[in-house]
Amino acid sequence: MHIFHIRYRNTQGTLMRILTAASRRGIDTPYVQAEPRGHEHKVTLLMEVNQKQVGQLSRDWYAIVDVLDVHPAIAVQEIAEHTRSARDTAVTSHPPASAILPTEPASHPALA
Amino acid sequence: MRKGSQIVLDCLRADGVDLVFGYPGGAIMPLYDALDGSGVRHILTRHEQGAVFAAEGYARVTGKVGVAMATSGPGATNLVTGIADAKMDSVPLVCITGQVRSALIGTDAFQETDVFGLTLSMTKWSRLVKSIQEIPEVIAEGFYWARSGRPGPVLIDIPTDMLKASMPFDGPVQFVPQPSTQRRATMSQCNETAIALLQQARKPVVLVGAGAKLSGAVAQLRQLLDQLNIPTFATVHGLGAVEPEAPYYLGMVGMHGTRAANNALHENDLLLVFGARLDDRVTGDPTRFAPESKIVHFEIDPAQLDRVRPCELAVIGDLAETIPAFHASLRHAPIPDWSGWRAIACGPERAETDPRGLAQPTIRFLDELFSRLPKKSVIVADVGQHQMWAAQRYHSDAPRGFITSGGLGAMGFALPAAIGIQLAQPETTVLCVSGDGGIQMNIQELATIRRLGLPIKTVIIDNKYLGMVRQWQQLFYQRNYAETDLSDNPDFVEIAKAYRILGQRISEDAVREYPVSQETGDTLDRFLRSPEPEILVFDCHPEANVYPMVPAGAALSEMLLEEE
Repeated sequence: MHIFHIRYRNTQGTLMRILTAASRRGIDTPYVQAEPRGHEHKVTLLMEVNQKQVGQLSRDWYAIVDVLDVHPAIAVQEIAEHTRSARDTAVTSHPPASAILPTEPASHPALA
Repeated sequence: MRKGSQIVLDCLRADGVDLVFGYPGGAIMPLYDALDGSGVRHILTRHEQGAVFAAEGYARVTGKVGVAMATSGPGATNLVTGIADAKMDSVPLVCITGQVRSALIGTDAFQETDVFGLTLSMTKWSRLVKSIQEIPEVIAEGFYWARSGRPGPVLIDIPTDMLKASMPFDGPVQFVPQPSTQRRATMSQCNETAIALLQQARKPVVLVGAGAKLSGAVAQLRQLLDQLNIPTFATVHGLGAVEPEAPYYLGMVGMHGTRAANNALHENDLLLVFGARLDDRVTGDPTRFAPESKIVHFEIDPAQLDRVRPCELAVIGDLAETIPAFHASLRHAPIPDWSGWRAIACGPERAETDPRGLAQPTIRFLDELFSRLPKKSVIVADVGQHQMWAAQRYHSDAPRGFITSGGLGAMGFALPAAIGIQLAQPETTVLCVSGDGGIQMNIQELATIRRLGLPIKTVIIDNKYLGMVRQWQQLFYQRNYAETDLSDNPDFVEIAKAYRILGQRISEDAVREYPVSQETGDTLDRFLRSPEPEILVFDCHPEANVYPMVPAGAALSEMLLEEE
């Protein structure tokens, strides 16, 4: 598992462009966390990739107009476990049959 | 006060746009309503795909940004192939689409499509305009990104209420990008490494792609090549960047490249790449591509590096800067004597042979035609066998003289692209080479050509098949010609007549003798020099094939040279 930290300007579509660089290669992204970081945003991605894909993805991300920097690293164990635990508990039906209250603070970053 | 539609056109003018291609519809009507008196000339094509390919043709031949306009929904989706084409071939393009009014977005309104989402993966930059105040900044930024760095397509989606609204307007703005944060090695470090690799090389070669042309660095590249004097070849988009008569030039490389170029690319031990992305049509089987080679890649777009194989050294930057800097460093460096390698790679044993087999008359026909073109003509080829024959026989030194859809391989490209090219260069002879399949994908643009009276010369190589697919079926699918038979084609001469365009047919027999008869020569001369649009249909043998051919999945050294 590799973890990538990508800093970007949160302009229209930039996060989606970051994600499609992975999806177009059929790479699953079991963990995505996007959050504001100062004047910019940061997204953290966890994915199973080989060394060649690390290079290709990093360069593809750099080529996106509003991406500021990309830091690839080997994933830490805790995040991988967090992902597994989130996947295990994510069994509520969607879309909901009726309005539901958020179970976590609104500012909590989304897990995908 | 100015309306959003007027502001859009003001901003286009400020970015140097005086010609746009498009097709009106509901959501973009306010923009069309404001065209009159705006200083922007609009070319009405007969399909949105025709508009975007015409804008591409204009951009490819001028280096300026091409602009296409369409309405929401189907108008926008009809632009998509052109947008993808511009992305693959690095064409500066701005597409402006009308969108349903903002209150209706997301309601599946009539002719609503999420064209912003649809094109995210194929645009360099895009925006859905959210307020009239954004329009000047969005257009300025869109044009900046379309033409900067590796050029590419931009999409600007404007809800119709933004086009109708008004605001005080002080004039267009300029976009100033934020400085890049990427750290790179200095140019001098790169050049030292590149020269060291060159000094160690026994069999160096050069691959030239479109980058040198896009950067306007052709003159600098040619000077460098003259000093290097090592075997050199070009991708289909690199054609025209290298002086074709240069003794070290081996022609086009890749799936249908020359034998000499493919052999040299396979055997080299150092590959200098200038502005090419090394796609699979150039490399053949990537696992067996140039097995002894180290790669030095001069490239403006880091995303193009290491796609098939890691390079030894990447020199990132505009070739207009990196080539002269490299050349300057090279002038003071001792370089080995590569004459032995050059003699092998460029020697007579590997020289092109005269065309043989069923394709011989077609190739001779193209040779005859091309040899009669004025020097600064533009050939625009569609996609298929005729495209590869035309590329193989193109021997001009005009950097922007051979235009085709190379990366995406979009059939139907050539005819509308020729419209954009002819409008950009009214005095130039524009020869559109298409096939009987491709011509029918945008044949409606003959009406645009007729309306504008553009003297475009269209050749249809008619083999009554989807020829390239049929060739693959013959060679790799046991001649199972599944759904490639076009023997019930319409009579293209009659079709031309219906569009009030002169059409004529020429048979293979007319070019069997070489050189051709006086009568055939006169026919070709008259065709090329006519001030009117004309169509010439060439009857090609149905089973003529393009050779050499590197089969898909094979190494470059395993090319098929002729019928077995």
